[in-house]
Amino acid sequence: MYAILLWAALGFYFAGIVLMVPSVVRRHPLLSPAALGALGVGLALHASSLAVRAINLHRLPVIDVQSTLSFYGFLVTLAFFLAYLRYRINVLGIFMLPLVFVLTLISALRPGPSFQSVAFRSGWLMVHIACVLVGYVGFFLTFIAAVMYLIQEGQLKSKSPRGLYYRLPSLEVCDELYGRSLMFGLPFLTLGILTGFFWATRMWHGPWELDPKILAALITWLIYLFLFSARISGSWPGRRSAYVAILGFAVIMVTFIGISFVSGWHGYLPNLGSLH
Amino acid sequence: MNLALVGINHRTAPVEVRERMNIPEARLEEAVADLAHRDGITEGLILSTCNRVEVIANAQNNVAAEPVIRRFLADHHHCDLAAYEPHFYRYRQQQVVEHLFRVASSLDSMIVGEPQILGQLKQAYNVARQAGALNGTLNEIVLQALTVARKVRRDTAIGASAVSVSYAAVELARKIFRDLTGTTIFVIGAGKMSEIAAKNLIRSGASAIFVSNRTYERATELAKAFHGTAIRFEELFDHVQKADIVICSTSAPHYVIHREHAEKWLAARKNRPIFFIDISVPRNVDPAINQLDNAFVYDIDDLGQVVEANKKQREREASWAEEIVQDEVQKAMRRMASREVVPTIVALEQRLEHIRESELERYRGRLNALSPQQREAVEALTKGILNKILHGPITELKSGAGRPEQSSLVQVVRKIFGVVE
Repeated sequence: MYAILLWAALGFYFAGIVLMVPSVVRRHPLLSPAALGALGVGLALHASSLAVRAINLHRLPVIDVQSTLSFYGFLVTLAFFLAYLRYRINVLGIFMLPLVFVLTLISALRPGPSFQSVAFRSGWLMVHIACVLVGYVGFFLTFIAAVMYLIQEGQLKSKSPRGLYYRLPSLEVCDELYGRSLMFGLPFLTLGILTGFFWATRMWHGPWELDPKILAALITWLIYLFLFSARISGSWPGRRSAYVAILGFAVIMVTFIGISFVSGWHGYLPNLGSLH
Repeated sequence: MNLALVGINHRTAPVEVRERMNIPEARLEEAVADLAHRDGITEGLILSTCNRVEVIANAQNNVAAEPVIRRFLADHHHCDLAAYEPHFYRYRQQQVVEHLFRVASSLDSMIVGEPQILGQLKQAYNVARQAGALNGTLNEIVLQALTVARKVRRDTAIGASAVSVSYAAVELARKIFRDLTGTTIFVIGAGKMSEIAAKNLIRSGASAIFVSNRTYERATELAKAFHGTAIRFEELFDHVQKADIVICSTSAPHYVIHREHAEKWLAARKNRPIFFIDISVPRNVDPAINQLDNAFVYDIDDLGQVVEANKKQREREASWAEEIVQDEVQKAMRRMASREVVPTIVALEQRLEHIRESELERYRGRLNALSPQQREAVEALTKGILNKILHGPITELKSGAGRPEQSSLVQVVRKIFGVVE
């Protein structure tokens, strides 16, 4: 049931992305109802697949890499809808949704082991994972806003506008989206890291502080904290902040996907990551 | 449907000829009524603007509409049309539909994508309706042209980018600042050029405005006109940092705003961007400022370059619009054609049924001897033959609907079966 719903969601996402293309290429003021409809149905199916999974597991479907990717993809689509409703930027879908498609596809292709680790019974751990994921959704939007900002800034500086100039929003809108998503993501990441520390000190005995994933998460947190303070003080120009935001998201990608396979404590492997 | 169009536009005729052929609004209703009431003409439409005069007529099937239109134009303008002959273009049938759709969608305009033409066509349509000159196929085609034009506006960005320098500045400002509501403008050098640029920005929503000029009186004048504030030239550099958009147009033969100034203002603005529009020649804003983060400097040539890029963009949009128009022309023609076929099919069936019945009538005396079953068989037999004969022509007529050869096919079928209108 879970797999069927997930594949159906993927189908609708794909249709939605394809249907979006003409609206973007031909600069329609809004996305076509067909594209939004397909994405909406995809989102609903995705939500039900996650719900089915959650009911089966009796907890959030974030206990293995595959379902975490799916869950993250779902949150990003949700964020797309919210951002689209607020800003009506057609091109946002083209920037954001291919990632959702790829993440969900990976998840659908490898349903992952449905092991039952005692650790995942803990409510604290669920809060930890959920907060971090929501934070990452915010930072993905920060990343996209930074990319859009850099492209638009380059177009304006070059004085010879090309295709994307006509389709991207103004620098001010890119900047606002950048700032808001940053302000949204940081508290969640902070909360996620704090709950993680709290849980780890209680449950883990051993040198968990040196876990590569924890170190990477701290680096991520420092990068975004820096961007946050730079924004508050207004001392760093948008262009340079945008580069750092892109770097920040690259670190997240490494943390989120790369280190999951090498970290002992955080590896989503059935025999590890449990109580020691 | 028997459509003809005679017209001139900005490409085929110089302004003297267009003036001569123009039909002023005040006389339009009378003119279009005159056209539509001529012999053999059923409908008429006249679109007369400063760039074009288009006269369209729908005529009865056996009437050539074009000579009637030409006579109408000659009568109306009291002139010999021969002198203007090379300027006119003529279209028939599908070409008329295509031309009208393209004109309505602003693809035939001097500035492709300009929005006025749609209103002008609507106006022409209303006048022709009032004059009682539109009541059939042409009426429908004009309404379709208006719909197609709206579709083109909706599905392409044909009219979206600025194709004039002064509007290009506004558009650039909109790509830096979300919208211009609440932005502050600083005008340095209160000349005519900067006045126009400022006016455009204010019309687009910019609110506060500062004006500075070598002669303070001129600055106060312009500031008053825009409900702004005049700043003395000496104090200028202390105030520019408040501005989001700086329009510079002084007669100074050197840079007035240097990189150091811009650096100071940008720092004070905490990264809010500044957009410098330098419309003075020689330039007044150091172009090196464009390299600073959050500063954008456009001189008059840069604006021209943006306009060129926009025009290229418009050409691409126009080619998409052409696709839409061609598609709609085909659809419209198919609709018209299938509508023309239906009466022919009905007439054909009636004609053959009439033959069958009269033949049965002729043999009634001899058929009376037959039993009811046998009579029924004869009835079925003759009907069967009739349907078999009809099957070929009807299929052919239906499948040919919309094709160019359709019209002659209809004529042939009518002729060989002796179907009269």
